[in-house]
Amino acid sequence: MKKTLALLLTALMLLSLAACAQPAPAAEAAPAAPATEAAAEATEAPVQKDITLTFMASQDWVQDAELALAQKFTEQTGIKVDYQIVPSDQYPNLLQTKLNSGECTDIFCSQAGRFDIVTTLNVAKNAADLTAEPWVATMEATAAAEVTADGKVYGQPMQDTSAVWAIAYNKKIFSDLGLSIPKSWAEFTAVCDAILATGVTPVYEPVSDGWHHVLWFAEMGAAYEKAEPGLVDALNGNTKKIADSAIMKTAVAQIKEMADKGYWGENYMADVYADQPAKMASGEYAMTVANQGLPQQIADLNSGLTADDIGFFVIPLADNQMLNVNPVGPTRFIYSGSANVEAAKQYLAFLAQPENLQYMIDNVAKFQNLPFSGLTPKYAGTVKEFYDMYSEKGTVLQTAVKYVNPQWMEIGKEIVSVIQGMQDDMTMLGNLDKNRADQAMAAQDAAW
Amino acid sequence: MSKSKHYPAYFLIGTLLLYVVLYLLPGLIGIGYSFTDWSAFSDKVNFLGYDHMFDNYIKAFSDVKYFGYLGNTLLFTFVTTIVKNVLGLALAVLLTRQVKLLNFHRAVMYIPAVLSALIVGMIFKSILHPADGLLNSTLKIFGIKGVKWLTDPKIAFWSVMGVDIWKGMGYIMTIFIAGIMSISPTYYEAAEIDGAGGWQKFRAITLPMLAPTMTVTTVLNVIYGLRVFDMVYALTNGGPGYVTEVLYTGIYKEFGYGKYAMGTTLSSIMFVFMAIIGYFLIRAMNRNEVEE
Repeated sequence: MKKTLALLLTALMLLSLAACAQPAPAAEAAPAAPATEAAAEATEAPVQKDITLTFMASQDWVQDAELALAQKFTEQTGIKVDYQIVPSDQYPNLLQTKLNSGECTDIFCSQAGRFDIVTTLNVAKNAADLTAEPWVATMEATAAAEVTADGKVYGQPMQDTSAVWAIAYNKKIFSDLGLSIPKSWAEFTAVCDAILATGVTPVYEPVSDGWHHVLWFAEMGAAYEKAEPGLVDALNGNTKKIADSAIMKTAVAQIKEMADKGYWGENYMADVYADQPAKMASGEYAMTVANQGLPQQIADLNSGLTADDIGFFVIPLADNQMLNVNPVGPTRFIYSGSANVEAAKQYLAFLAQPENLQYMIDNVAKFQNLPFSGLTPKYAGTVKEFYDMYSEKGTVLQTAVKYVNPQWMEIGKEIVSVIQGMQDDMTMLGNLDKNRADQAMAAQDAAW
Repeated sequence: MSKSKHYPAYFLIGTLLLYVVLYLLPGLIGIGYSFTDWSAFSDKVNFLGYDHMFDNYIKAFSDVKYFGYLGNTLLFTFVTTIVKNVLGLALAVLLTRQVKLLNFHRAVMYIPAVLSALIVGMIFKSILHPADGLLNSTLKIFGIKGVKWLTDPKIAFWSVMGVDIWKGMGYIMTIFIAGIMSISPTYYEAAEIDGAGGWQKFRAITLPMLAPTMTVTTVLNVIYGLRVFDMVYALTNGGPGYVTEVLYTGIYKEFGYGKYAMGTTLSSIMFVFMAIIGYFLIRAMNRNEVEE
């Protein structure tokens, strides 16, 4: 009798444990849960009113203005949009896991890029074809190319892709010293030397964040291609290695030279990106690599500098004089496995209506334009002047060349190892090739 | 005790089942994945083939980068274990004497141990900032030029170990205090009658009597050292370059980059290391108990 009782108790205990264990996976999958709910609702009641679209994005990608538009959409159609915002350091991993396990939200966001959407996102399998959507025709051609694979459009850009990472400089410091915008590497070092001699640090470079200093290397893609025509195609076809490129070696050497000569100051390794506007406003630094949102941020600090006191010129490494454009930004995709593809398409079409795009430009401080036609951009005078200064344009390395963007943070570590004298530039470029090969082979790229 | 008060053997089933399902099986599956090409870049997981099945392991031991992670982890474990034991013991000896405000001093030494490593890491990141950190600013007052504690490749890893020792020694001290308090005062009284000095008492009584405690603290320190992650992550995130990267920060990054197979390979290596070291430590511990 006791034995039976004991057995029964054991069984009960196990059962309760099993019951306890159950909520765990459900909790983990919580962000995806509304999708199944919505799917169930959609099959039970095909009336649009009961649909809830699930939407997943990295932090900072979804603006308050977009949430306001979502509410308006719900009022018009009855379709609800459930935004799930994920911390940016976890986002790429979470998205990959969801896509690989077939449990993604109705709409997901990701950085686009003609190569990355194929190798990393596998859009042909994971995303719905949007080619027939009415708004596709209004998309700017450069932006459209980065969300297109095999002639099919898969994504909708959600941010301003016109901003350029360039050198922002303090016009007052430049005019006090009688300096003009440098147009070559030699001129740039001369400018830096002149600034350094006055006790001002020439460049604020926040290496501590791990990603910012990589811009010096990767934003020069167009200059590399100009110096070595055919380089981009050769790198993508794996007929040439990064380590074989003399111009890229030069760029790395120049980055090290800046650090060695003290252009970045004493403590660049500990400096952080968040301090950039304050450091520039303090007048202790004359230049920094930033995009066109910086002047307004500096002006907002009330330091005596206005937005017009900050000018821009392109990064002159490798004697670059081309505007480095990057038509890639966070992009909305519709998950192919979604039960609400039609409703999701309806939502994207709503967001791409000219009045709604204009609403975004007018209400989001950092947006100056969106990559669609028929809109009124709000470029400040100094920014427009900068864009007009360069007649030639070219695409950045991380967008033009495959398997560069996914290893961005690793490139950061490699550059630091070079700057700190722990390895030479050839070892660094070789490691970049090695990482590219790893990814290419994992993606079963035929060129590798 | 009557026989019926013993639990029957089948009571084990539940625990065993949970253990197998939640610990053993995932562990084995993890090791299995280290023989594949699993990555975020492809939704297929392929076995590497019998000719190439150890490719991930060969890479882990031949790549300078991964080998560096392993070396750093062992260095970290070795240094922090020894220094925490020595300082922990010294503090324990000090704080078992007749000192004013004894409990206050003990609490002050112990407080870092209850703080989260991430918080300690963030606080020290600001203290050790080369330009306006507390440490270098203080040194400046005395006319000493501070160094770049966390960003100079030659110093960074030692700074990380220093912060970890500061945080961990209070905890070790507490264990030693308990050990010292359990030593019967009669030994010391007898030694005093024989005319033994402080150092002789420490060497001949305290130290041998603390051997079992020291085994415990060593096991704790070694296991903690091998799986250190948060302190390195918060202080340097493996930088500058890769000089402070340890195995767990390395594994975390491999997973982050989507190289899942490499991540599981490094985890498997870690598992084997821990199993071997754990085995020898437990043997050493048992021997001590027998000797007693």
